[in-house]
Amino acid sequence: MDIVVEEVATGATKVMLRGRFDTTAAVLFELPFNTVASEKKAIVVDISAVEFLASYAVRVLLLGAKVVAGKGGKLAILCPHDNNVAKVLRTAGVGKVIPIVEREDAALAAVAG
Amino acid sequence: MASSRTTPARRRVLRPDLAELGPLTQWAGEFAEQAGLPQSLSFALQLCLEEAAANIIMYSGAAETGQEIAIELMEAAPDVLAIIEDGGRPFDPTSVPPPPEPASIAQAPIGQLGVHFMRSFASEMRYEQRDGRNRLTLRFNPADVAAKASE
Repeated sequence: MDIVVEEVATGATKVMLRGRFDTTAAVLFELPFNTVASEKKAIVVDISAVEFLASYAVRVLLLGAKVVAGKGGKLAILCPHDNNVAKVLRTAGVGKVIPIVEREDAALAAVAG
Repeated sequence: MASSRTTPARRRVLRPDLAELGPLTQWAGEFAEQAGLPQSLSFALQLCLEEAAANIIMYSGAAETGQEIAIELMEAAPDVLAIIEDGGRPFDPTSVPPPPEPASIAQAPIGQLGVHFMRSFASEMRYEQRDGRNRLTLRFNPADVAAKASE
């Protein structure tokens, strides 16, 4: 899985993931993502280009969101609503606790101030 | 057509190592493609195999004892069966209750999702212990899996 972290003009941090967010990728992603979650207060995780999502990946996203929320920050997930990955997120109930949006401007708005 | 499928049963043996998961799901994807299975079923098969094998590798003690995991895929038209066998600690995933619905991010439970995914993406999950080994059978029915995917 490819990972790109980018600071955007609104002050948010965008974490863009591409490829298979499987167990192995999630184990490798866990530590760097926790660092971002610890340091930043407005994070958009863009998984639009992710084609596979395992339970360990959901665990890593939830743990990061807990860290961000614990210090008063916000995390949103950018993901189309009609693909397999979205179905995995729905099955896990992620949308009940983390905003999942389809458009980047909506994601940035969800994590703003 | 379902009746003309002739894909033979396939078997794969994994070391209890997370590095085996990528090749495992790739193999399952190739099986699905060769069998002409719908994309929703291919995804469900790959996800459930990943979750079943990851659970065994991480939690059954198989990694400590070097116990191999055997996986068999076969067609039982129109369904697909995946049979996962391991010699780790006895573990019946069908007895695991679904995780509680999270009310807030602070209260969101971490974990328990792997079995929940298998239950949600497969049409049926059956567990037995045979000769001291865990044997999990997952059944995927194309119509059922497609209906679930669009929920």
